Amino acid sequence: MKTKILSGALILAATGLGGVAQADSFTLWVRSDGSEFMPKLVEAFNAKGEHEAQLQIVPVNELVQKYAIAAAGGSAPDALSLDLIYTPAFAAAGQLKDITDLVESLPYRDALSPAHMSVGTYDGRIYGLPFSADASVLLWNKDLYRAAGLDPEQGPTTWAEIREDAEAIAALGDDTYGFYFSGSCGGCNVFTFTPLIWASGGDIFADEGKTATLASPEVREAIDFYRGMVQAGIVPAGAQTDTGANFFAAFANGNIGISPSGSFAIGALNNQYPDLDYGVALLPGKEGGASSFAGGDNFVVSQDTENLEPIKAFLEFAYSVEGQTILANNGSLPVRADVAAEALEGLDARNLVSAEAMTVGRTPYSVVFNDLINSSNGPWATTLNRAFFAEDDAVVDEAVEEGQEEMQSIIDAAG
Amino acid sequence: MPDTSSKAPAAVATPRPRRRRRRSADWEGLLYVLPAAALVIVFFMIPLGMTIWMSLHKWPLMGKPRWIGLDNYSRLLGDSDFWNALGFTVQYTLAATAGLLGVALILALMVERPARGVAFYRTAYFLPVVTGFASASLLWAWLSNVDSGLFSPLAQTIGLTSEPVNILATFGPAFWSVTIMVVWKMAGFHMVILMSGLQSIPADYIEAARIDGAKAHQRFRYITLPLVRRPFALALILCVSGSMLAFDQFYIILSGGPQNQTVTAVYHIFNESFVSFRLGYGAALSVVLLAILLVLSAIQLRLLRDRGETR
Amino acid sequence: MNAATMDASIRAPARRRGRIRYHRAVFHVTAVLVALLFLAPIFWVVAASFRTKAESGQPPLPPWPSGPFSIDSYLRLENFGQSILHYSGNSLFVAVGTAALTIVVSTLAGYGFSRFNFPLKGLVFLLVLATIMVPFQSILTPLFLLLAKMGLQNTLIGLILIYTTLQLPFSVFMMRNAFDAVPKEIEEAARIDGVKGARMLVQVMGPLVLPGVVTVGLFAFLNAWNEFLAALVLLTDQSKFTLPVLMTAVRSGRFGSIDWGAVQAGVTVMMIPCLILFLILQRSYIRGLTAGAVK
Repeated sequence: MKTKILSGALILAATGLGGVAQADSFTLWVRSDGSEFMPKLVEAFNAKGEHEAQLQIVPVNELVQKYAIAAAGGSAPDALSLDLIYTPAFAAAGQLKDITDLVESLPYRDALSPAHMSVGTYDGRIYGLPFSADASVLLWNKDLYRAAGLDPEQGPTTWAEIREDAEAIAALGDDTYGFYFSGSCGGCNVFTFTPLIWASGGDIFADEGKTATLASPEVREAIDFYRGMVQAGIVPAGAQTDTGANFFAAFANGNIGISPSGSFAIGALNNQYPDLDYGVALLPGKEGGASSFAGGDNFVVSQDTENLEPIKAFLEFAYSVEGQTILANNGSLPVRADVAAEALEGLDARNLVSAEAMTVGRTPYSVVFNDLINSSNGPWATTLNRAFFAEDDAVVDEAVEEGQEEMQSIIDAAG
Repeated sequence: MPDTSSKAPAAVATPRPRRRRRRSADWEGLLYVLPAAALVIVFFMIPLGMTIWMSLHKWPLMGKPRWIGLDNYSRLLGDSDFWNALGFTVQYTLAATAGLLGVALILALMVERPARGVAFYRTAYFLPVVTGFASASLLWAWLSNVDSGLFSPLAQTIGLTSEPVNILATFGPAFWSVTIMVVWKMAGFHMVILMSGLQSIPADYIEAARIDGAKAHQRFRYITLPLVRRPFALALILCVSGSMLAFDQFYIILSGGPQNQTVTAVYHIFNESFVSFRLGYGAALSVVLLAILLVLSAIQLRLLRDRGETR
Repeated sequence: MNAATMDASIRAPARRRGRIRYHRAVFHVTAVLVALLFLAPIFWVVAASFRTKAESGQPPLPPWPSGPFSIDSYLRLENFGQSILHYSGNSLFVAVGTAALTIVVSTLAGYGFSRFNFPLKGLVFLLVLATIMVPFQSILTPLFLLLAKMGLQNTLIGLILIYTTLQLPFSVFMMRNAFDAVPKEIEEAARIDGVKGARMLVQVMGPLVLPGVVTVGLFAFLNAWNEFLAALVLLTDQSKFTLPVLMTAVRSGRFGSIDWGAVQAGVTVMMIPCLILFLILQRSYIRGLTAGAVK
């Protein structure tokens, strides 16, 4: 209870008490995924007394709408911590301020996460800076590994090992399952499923996002890998309709052997489920290798923002060792490589796996990412749902073929 | 204009002492309806006009709009997603309307006459109506959840199924689950409307028919049915227009799934406007949907007016 | 049982009386079963909302908590921004405001349409009724731009104005019919006594159309209390959120973990005021609705 009251008070302090602004202040939005680290970061920044950030937390699914509508009505926030994959779309729409000069003035510019920087760049100019980071990883439940007679310290390193281990665990009982994924969630699957394809040498886009390659053999193999586990009955029935609401909690409840997830899960599991004994591994390719989706937030500045002074101060604070440590302690990975080790010091060693994942991580680049991938009615989510749970091969063929066509037509229409 | 035709002659035909003041009375009447008219014009007509205006533009949510004439409309003709959504909406409207009015009529026949316990039954059947679509949908999303909900675990407990069944995963069960939710939530509302019609039937009509030897189904067909036509038409209009505009339940419970098979017309417009941010195209879809609904309601208003003529 | 049926059953021969009793028993058993079916989901969620956090994710069989009642699920709602009381206050303000404005506007309009002839009367009536045929989702973006121009964006007042407009077709139709049901003679008599204008409406007609007023007000209240899409799109400031918008945030979960207990508690908080209000006002509510529908 105490922590609830405390965090409530924090948000109040961060959003409400604008009246005492003795210096410059600016408004800042963050998607609700950042509600762990952002209030703490803002509080520490405001406590310095130089400038003031006024924070508002926006539900993740409504952030883009709310921002666009606020911008149309002239009430956009000065700055925004935005899911990094939206940076190209926002920049293309002319909503963002070109902050290339600000970026170039940072002495540690080259140490900032390259995956973030690549999607933060549009037409050769920089519009977004790395702010928080979240890499996809594989989790396994050590207690269930022990119960199934597997080595609890050795996570799977190939698809075949995932399948074997998952089957052994599923055999433990009716309420125990081998593998879990959110089968109806485009965002979750691009985060956790595409790395399986990348690590096996495939991709879902080619030509810098101009061509969809959903019908490629590597994608098909990955689909068959998931589908095989569904048909073997080692995936719970709820997976088929999970739109992401259970993405984390399914594994946390302790009856799932293996589940792809994100680095955020380490902090969340340690805080909320201290009794769960789990391991963290890199997402493997079919025959080995590893990849990850380098996700998180980019920090962007609204087109109409005039006063960059407090924003620059806030960024410098966030990139300081103190700021990066606050991030690392509250569910995000550091985004500044040269101080990452220092920021992660004393934390759960499993975070180092995530930090490694971040370095092998990739981020797809597309100005229509939302239409293609994240929309729950988009071609990516629909195709995968049809294919993963298909009864026979013909349905998979049809789903992939239609998905490929639809994705390409959306890309072409935007081009 | 369902009723003005039958009212207006009555008002004109009756000679009135205030007839010479009629001019000022004209303006007085307008004064009374002015606030309503103003609200409708400002918050309905003007935005509607803007919708049509926007439909002639490429209008992204962010950035500058650009005039493109009728391009949105020609693109719409080939938009299979929209026509699929419309087809699904019609399918849902048929199912929901049949289910709702059927159940509502049975309920109304059960509780139309005062008797012991009937007041309680009426209240019980009506209670779900006052919960909102959002709360009812959230409630149903929980009950339908395969792990934490009620339906699947209950079916397993009483031995109906051996494995957990995810009713939201395939189209048939998911569709009927939502339809049943809507019937559960809205049947009471239509029950009350139909009941009011049934109660307006003078008891001696029925009694007279009974004495004349009319059988129960005949009495229902020739006395009850014609007399409840007007409230039935009202229920039908509310039901059809409500179902054609369905959104909340499919958004909250199914997110348009499984595999986009339950995306309704409004849902598709919402997606175009607020997910893909093609406001101009979304506006064009709205205009088409609006035209379809206007045709539908014109047909239904005719149903309403007929009764005025037979009287 | 009223006097007439009593009479009939006394006069009926014994065999017929037995059959009636049998029919009545079948009727009541059916009616009670149906009533249970209709009440079950509400009972289920209310009972389930009092379970502990550990239990709240389990299937609700049985729905009530295995141990003592816990309000933990309600307390966890506070994890989502400000206190649940704050958001309830927002919802209450919007709902009461919408109800009050709807009552005033639709009573005036109903009186005007029922008792006066004026130019374009048919057209204006059709205009008001036609609102129901247009999906307001499709005019949400223009509505926002419009509110921004009027300086009402991101305000609960702006929401009230829009909700009231959405409420008008049903309410004006209802009030027009309610006024139609009042005999003209009452008005004539009052007119002869020298009553006119607004006094006529408030003092003479008002009490006679009260059931209609209650219906209209109650529907406006319930719809405004429960509406979520317009609120979702039109309110960008989290301190202005109404309950349904808050609940979408709760339901989408954070970090991919949905808290079904908080959903159960939230649904309960959203439903209970509606149920209580309806149970108190039920009589005039149903009477008003019935009077409206018959005409």
